[in-house]
Amino acid sequence: MTAALSNDLVLAIPELILAIGAMALLLLGAFRGEGAAGLVNWAAVGVLALAAWATLAGTGEAPRLAFSRLFVVDDFARFMKLLVLLGAALTLPMARSFMARAGAERFEFGVLVLLATLGMLVMISANDLITLYVGLELQSLALYVLAAFLRDDAKSTEAGLKYFVLGALSSGMLLYGASLIYGFSGTTNFVDLAATLGHGDGTGPAIGVVVGIVFLSAGLAFKVSAVPFHMWTPDVYEGAPTPVTAFFAAAPKVAAMALFVRTMISPLGDLAPQWQQIIVFMAVASMLLGAFAAIGQSNLKRLLAYSSIGHVGYALVGLAAGGLQGVRGVLVYMAIYMVMTLGSFGCLLAMRRGGQMVERVDELGGLSRTNPMLAFVLAALMFSLAGIPPLAGFFAKYFVFVAAIDAGLVVLSVIGMLASVVSGFYYLRVVKVMYFDDAVGPLDRPIPLPVRLVVTASGLLTVLYFIVPAPLLVSAEAAAKSLMP
Amino acid sequence: MVDASPMTGTEMMVELALIVAKILAIVVPLLIAVAYATLLDRKVWAMMQLRRGPNVVGIFGLLQPFADGLKLLTKETIIPAGANKGVFLLAPVLTFTLAMIAWAVIPFGDGLVLADINVGVLYLFAISSLGVYGIIMGGWASNSRYPFLGGLRSAAQMVSYEVSIGFVIITVLLCVGSLNLNDVVKAQEHVWFAIPLFPMFVVFFISALAETNRPPFDLPEAESELVAGYQIEYSSMSFALFMLGEYANMILMSAMTAILFLGGWQPISIFGLLDWIPGPIWFLGKIFAVLFVMCWVKATVPRYRYDQLMRLGWKVFLPLSLFWVVLTAGVLVGFGWLPVKG
Amino acid sequence: MNLEVLVFYLFASITVAAAVMVISARNPVHSVLFLILAFFNAAGLFLLCGAEFLAMILVIVYVGAVAVLFLFVVMMLDINFAELRQGFLQYLPIGGLIGVILLVELALVLGSWTILPSAGGVAAAQTPAIGDITNTDALGRILYTHYLLPFQLAGMILLVAMVGAIVLTLRARPGVRRQSISAQNARTKELAAELKKVSSGQGV
Repeated sequence: MTAALSNDLVLAIPELILAIGAMALLLLGAFRGEGAAGLVNWAAVGVLALAAWATLAGTGEAPRLAFSRLFVVDDFARFMKLLVLLGAALTLPMARSFMARAGAERFEFGVLVLLATLGMLVMISANDLITLYVGLELQSLALYVLAAFLRDDAKSTEAGLKYFVLGALSSGMLLYGASLIYGFSGTTNFVDLAATLGHGDGTGPAIGVVVGIVFLSAGLAFKVSAVPFHMWTPDVYEGAPTPVTAFFAAAPKVAAMALFVRTMISPLGDLAPQWQQIIVFMAVASMLLGAFAAIGQSNLKRLLAYSSIGHVGYALVGLAAGGLQGVRGVLVYMAIYMVMTLGSFGCLLAMRRGGQMVERVDELGGLSRTNPMLAFVLAALMFSLAGIPPLAGFFAKYFVFVAAIDAGLVVLSVIGMLASVVSGFYYLRVVKVMYFDDAVGPLDRPIPLPVRLVVTASGLLTVLYFIVPAPLLVSAEAAAKSLMP
Repeated sequence: MVDASPMTGTEMMVELALIVAKILAIVVPLLIAVAYATLLDRKVWAMMQLRRGPNVVGIFGLLQPFADGLKLLTKETIIPAGANKGVFLLAPVLTFTLAMIAWAVIPFGDGLVLADINVGVLYLFAISSLGVYGIIMGGWASNSRYPFLGGLRSAAQMVSYEVSIGFVIITVLLCVGSLNLNDVVKAQEHVWFAIPLFPMFVVFFISALAETNRPPFDLPEAESELVAGYQIEYSSMSFALFMLGEYANMILMSAMTAILFLGGWQPISIFGLLDWIPGPIWFLGKIFAVLFVMCWVKATVPRYRYDQLMRLGWKVFLPLSLFWVVLTAGVLVGFGWLPVKG
Repeated sequence: MNLEVLVFYLFASITVAAAVMVISARNPVHSVLFLILAFFNAAGLFLLCGAEFLAMILVIVYVGAVAVLFLFVVMMLDINFAELRQGFLQYLPIGGLIGVILLVELALVLGSWTILPSAGGVAAAQTPAIGDITNTDALGRILYTHYLLPFQLAGMILLVAMVGAIVLTLRARPGVRRQSISAQNARTKELAAELKKVSSGQGV
């Protein structure tokens, strides 16, 4: 018993680090008072780095189960966990100056981010419907609070409330689906589910299981904000404080996508004909909506929200393709997407005029003259998001579409490419405003150092990715392989 | 659990009659005890203030409770015009009923209990946590300011102290290894839990005072501030039911204290000298002792201010009881004293 | 007619009736009271299943704590329910439609209810018979061994809820005078009072 437990605990060391770190920082903050905000923030970054280091242990080993098979650690989980930890660790320092200016510099921010990240790690390693749900709730609950963090700001509280109500609804759907699946298969464990649902006797699965899968994927689609469960995204992205939005667009999305992929591939892998059409529909709808709805947006945060919906659509193309290639495509896509999106939000955080955040597209006018470096990075990121070679975004889309074509989903890939052409329009509009419109006025200086660092790093990675594409591909390949039966 | 084997009609009737008889055997003495608890309360209070207390009706005022009861019975029940009639009348009935049904699981002697259920402790805790409804419903339904304030105060107060009571109960359960009240008593054969868990005993007793709205925590009634709190609009029998329920709850809490910490029906063992006294007598004696202390406290401690009350509940008792849960669990595991069954 | 069946129908019908009253009662306080009634009868149903621990926990947690706070809030807020109800008819069709769809789905699912044949081995009930072990014991054993991870994570969720509630609502008000009990107790006669000899007609 004790030996087994310590084996389990060794596998969950990153989670333990986060949990203990969050609680310790909570105590620190509670005893030191509000003055501890900065200290807690940096300490949280340290905790995340420590967890990332612990995540790397055992890379390349065969998947291992822990906690009565409720928890799995494999290369897929490690890959996704590193992404999530990176996303969280980059958001925290960027948030510091923003929160200080908004008068909301409280130590709970770092603690909540840590707890949300803990939830995400659990989601990624979930090997049971119960773990899945508990991880999801832990993450979501912390995110609801983060969205409403500027509690005196009407928009922020509205965003929190909207997110909460719709999130509760989606949790309900997810639970409904999970209970149906449990009711028909008699187990919640992913390994057992795969064994139970796998034995096709020619008649296909019971209708209850299919209905269950529909509800389960609806709940998951909400968390990745895929159409038709995307309604909350623009409002929440716009209302939430910008660093929180950056966090939303990066870490939780990666975690939810990881969960989505694992659930579909690992326990429900043999039912691919049943869920593939659902995913294809979501992918098409997300890509199209992301492309067309963003055209009319004048607020940058809303624009990026629609852009993120579209990008989820592209990632789902990889999932719809399934197989090693498809999963690898999703992994590469999420990694590159996260870098790009953190960079874009970093640019947003860097722009402030007369003490006010620059959030509208037309306020970017003439940025190339007032702040050429920032304009260059933002332009590169926009080109990359649009998927223009040789930037990183192009490779992301490339791998996904190749996988889809190999899997015979030609129509899907064609729709995807058309959608990305349409979406090019609004990305390029941002570039046009920056380079060809009249200058509005200089931005406030100085840009906070962490923001500058993140923006620079993200810009460099995006632009220079084509020089060394191999490491990401290789690790994504290894990660995808560990998921395959 | 209902017995699965089918019963004939007569068997069922006999069974039913037996149960009713048992219930009556508990409730009737209980009601008399409640009546005399009011007298005890007044007498003790009076003596501590060098007064005589009720001494006109009967010798030593022994018939005073019945005189009071008869008086209330013959008065008119007044329902305020703006009151929510249904809830207004339901509230005292609820208070009284809850105070009665809790006794179903109290063991008066070894196995001498109406319903020997596995989760007796939880049942008692559940019933005592429901007591707040009578007060809050009565306070709201009266549609008047003072009763409403009293009702709200009591809701916050009782919920707050339930938390620490819950933790105290958990420490006891850790030492017992069962939720059955008879087992709880039996586990104290050698030493009462009041000795090793003394701080918890104190916390429990004080929380019990708060839970029953006894002084010094009688803020829901607080004569000097809220006139009589949630009871203002009540008269006649509806008021009497509140009073009866309140005193029955007091006795119940004393019984719980006796069972959880003072060894229930176990005799005080002085080399077996006093073992000939039957268990129920011991049990009643312990209840009486706790009741006396409650009256004593009423006579000597001034009422708490509301913020002091909340501070005591949340900032003192909660951390203390939480700490004791951890400490007890740690000691039990560390020394291998954990009562493991099966 | 078995007694157990009779009691079941009693509890079940009261639960359903109370649930209907929760959403149809005019007075919000009555709604909460009916909700409490529904909880009670649900606890009764648990008892009938032999799940006495769950029944008691339901009463303690939901009725004893959650519903009290509900009642507290509803009584304090003075909600105008007539106003809230105005949109009721407007949303009835779509709400009803969703309800009907869910019902049909449920009926479809239950109609074709067959646990997958391959599930037999997996679903092997490790549940011990009720007579062997009290269900408090059984729950404790499975919760702290097999489901240790979700159990601990549920604790983290509660922690987040607590932190969240404090973050969103706690405001440090400036200028509030607080009682310092230790300072009060430390006061001595010398600190508190000063005796002065006042000669008459002079004032202090």
